Amino acid sequence: MLKEVESTEFNELAESGLVLVDFFSTTCGPCKMLAFVLNDVEKAVGDKVKILKVDFDKNSDLTKKYEVKGYPTLILLKDGTEIKRMQGLQQKPAIIKMIEENA
Amino acid sequence: MSVEYKRIEHWIPLQKEAEEKMLAEFESGDYTIENPLVKVNAYLINPLSAVVLFKTKEETAVTIRVRGKTKAADIVHTFPKGKTHILPVLGLYANYNNTVEITPYRGKTTTIQIELGDVCDQSVVEYIETTPEYFQDNIMLLTPAGSEKSIGVDFAGDIRFHLTALCVFDAKRLKNGNLLIGTDRLIKLPYYMSGLYEMSMVGKIYKEYRVPGAYHHDEFEMPDGNILCLTEDLRSETVEDMCVLLDRNTGEILKTWDYKKFLTPGEGQGLSYTDEDWFHNNAVWYDENTHSLTFSGRHIDSMVNIDFDSGELNWIIGDPETWPEHMHKYFFKPVGNNFEWQYEQHANLITPNGDVMCFDNHHNSTKVEAKKVLAHNNYSRGVRYKINTEDMTIEQVWQYGKDRGAEFFSPYICNVEYYNEGHYLVHSGGIAYDKDGLPSEALGAYAVQTGGRQEAITVEVVHNVKMFELKTNSNFYRAEKVKLYTQGSNLELGEGQILGSMGVTLEFDTEIPAEAAGEMLPEDCNARIEDEMDKFTFFCRFMKGDLAMLMLEKGEEVHRYYISTTSQPAKAMCCGSFLDSDDRNTRTGINKAGLSGTYDVRVIINDKKYETGIKIEC
Repeated sequence: MLKEVESTEFNELAESGLVLVDFFSTTCGPCKMLAFVLNDVEKAVGDKVKILKVDFDKNSDLTKKYEVKGYPTLILLKDGTEIKRMQGLQQKPAIIKMIEENA
Repeated sequence: MSVEYKRIEHWIPLQKEAEEKMLAEFESGDYTIENPLVKVNAYLINPLSAVVLFKTKEETAVTIRVRGKTKAADIVHTFPKGKTHILPVLGLYANYNNTVEITPYRGKTTTIQIELGDVCDQSVVEYIETTPEYFQDNIMLLTPAGSEKSIGVDFAGDIRFHLTALCVFDAKRLKNGNLLIGTDRLIKLPYYMSGLYEMSMVGKIYKEYRVPGAYHHDEFEMPDGNILCLTEDLRSETVEDMCVLLDRNTGEILKTWDYKKFLTPGEGQGLSYTDEDWFHNNAVWYDENTHSLTFSGRHIDSMVNIDFDSGELNWIIGDPETWPEHMHKYFFKPVGNNFEWQYEQHANLITPNGDVMCFDNHHNSTKVEAKKVLAHNNYSRGVRYKINTEDMTIEQVWQYGKDRGAEFFSPYICNVEYYNEGHYLVHSGGIAYDKDGLPSEALGAYAVQTGGRQEAITVEVVHNVKMFELKTNSNFYRAEKVKLYTQGSNLELGEGQILGSMGVTLEFDTEIPAEAAGEMLPEDCNARIEDEMDKFTFFCRFMKGDLAMLMLEKGEEVHRYYISTTSQPAKAMCCGSFLDSDDRNTRTGINKAGLSGTYDVRVIINDKKYETGIKIEC
C-alpha cells in the first residue's frame, strides 16, 4: 500500500504492522524525487510494509507528535512505535535495506 | 546556444607549456646576470613571484635579495652553485615597484625592478602585532574558508605570498620544502576536492594526488614521506569518515581506515550531528611513539585514537555524555584543576611527550541542547591535555583564548600548532558577527549571506607571552608559519604528474518519467558546463522546489544524477569558498571515471527533458 493520508486515517493505519511514513512538502524538490523512489520501493517490498505519505504543511499534529523538523523525513514504525528515521532524500536500496532489516 | 561550454585545462599541462615557453625564450637569448630574463608569475598561480633566468661563465652560487619596504622585511636566499641559473623570486609586494638584488658569490650585485600591479587585496589584513626580531622572515600562511584565497603575511602585515588558484583546506610544509595543499578542483559540494597538490612556493605543481573518495580538511606527511589524506566513500550514505594512506611516488592507496569499523554512527552525538555527517573528521595526526592515528570528530565532540596497524580503538578524548555505557571504558577521567572538555574541536596533534593538543572551538559548550551556550557568552581556545593511558586520567595543562571570551570565539575551523615546549600558535579563523555586530553562531559564509561579517585572529605565544597577533577581516581555515624559501633550488623543472584516480560519481537509480521537450534548456537557467580531463561540472539555476536531474545518454546507456534544488544552511561548512550567493544556482560535479565514450547531456526539470546541445567525451 502506498497512500497519502491525513491524521485520522494515519492513526488507523499506523497502529499495527510495519509502516513507512514519508513527511513531504509539495514545494520541495527532494520530496518530489522521493515520491518516485517510494513508488519503486512499494513495487519491491510493498508486501512487507505500508507506505503512508503525510503532507508536512497540512498535518501539524503529526509533525509535532513525531518531532519532524524538516522534509523529506522518513520514519519507520512497527506497531505504532518509531524504530528508524531517515532525513533527506534517500535512494531505493537504502530504504529497502531499512525495511527488510526490520520486517 | 542556451548552455555555455568551457574547457578547463589542468594546471599541470598549462604550467608545462608556460615553462617550456620560458625556457625556449631563455635559450634563444643571451641572458646574463646583468641582463637576466625575468618572468613574473611564471607558473600562473602565484602573482607575487617571479623567475629570473641567466647564465654565468663560471660556476657560482647566487644570492637573491627581495628588498623589503624596510630592511628587516628583506627576503634573502642563496641558491646552490651552477652556471645556468633559474631562480624563483618570492615575497614580492603587490602595487609596488619591487627591487630585487642578484649577487654571485664574491661578485657584483645587479639590481632589477619588478613592478607589480593590484594582484592581491592587502585590505584583508586589519592589523598585526609582532616584531621583526621575533617573526624574522617567516610568513603566516592563511588558507581559505570563504571568498579569500591563500595569503602569506610578513611581520609588518604585508602580503608576500598569494595563490590565485582556490586551493583549500590545510597547507603543510613537507620535509622536502614543498607545500602540500588541497587542490582547487571541486568534485562535490560543499567542499570535497579532487585531492592534494604538492607544489613549490613559486606555484609550480609537481604532483596532484587524486583521491577516489575526494579530499577534505586535512592531510599528514608520514615519517617515510607517504601521505595520510582524509576522505570518504562517495557512494555511501555518510561523509567525512575515512582516511587513506597514499604512496608518495605513485599516489596509490596503500591503506584505508573506515571509522565505522571502530565507532558506531549515532553514538556520542554532539549538537551538530547529522545522520550523513555523523563524525565530521577535520584532522588526522600520526604519532610515531605509539604508532597510532588520532582523528578529530567535530560532530561527536571527540578526538579518537586508533592503532595504526590493527585499526582498533585505543582511547577517546571528549565529554562522555551521550555515549553509551559500553563505550565509557575508552574515555578518560579528568584530574587536577580547571579542567574543561573540548567541544567541536579541530586540528588535534600529539606533542613529542605524548600530550594532546587541539583548537577547542567550544561550540555550544555541551553535547545537550538544554545546556547550550550561545556565541556571545562563549569562547574558543587552544588547549593541551596530559593523558595517562594506564589509569585513563586526563589533566588540562595549558590553554589560551578562554579569557578573550566571545571576541576569540569561532564555531568552526581553526588550528593550533606546537613549535616547542611553551611555544604555540592558536588560530581562531572562523569568528563571525551578525548584522547587528553581535557575536554569531553562524558559520562564516552564512554570516556574510545574512549581512554579517567575518574575522580571523592568529596568535603565537611563548611561555604564555603573546609574541604575535594578526587580525584579518575574513575567515581563514588554518594558519601555518612558514619561510618562503627552504634550502636548495626551490624549483624543479619538468612536467608535473597527475597521480591516483577519481572515484565514480554516485548515480540515482530511480527513473523520472519525463517527456522529451524537444527544446533547449531555458535561457533563464543560465546553464554552463566546465569540462576537464577527468570530470565536468554542470552549473544551472532552477526554481526552488523544482525536480531536477542531469542525464548522460549514449544510445540505451543512461546515467542519472539527481540535482537538489533545495538549499538549507549546513551544520558544518568548513570551507564556504564554493557557496553561491544565489541559492537557486546549483553546481553538479560528475567524475568521468566509470564512463566511456561520448554522451549527450540532457536535463530533466519536473516532467520535461531538455536538450543542452553539449556532448561530453569521457
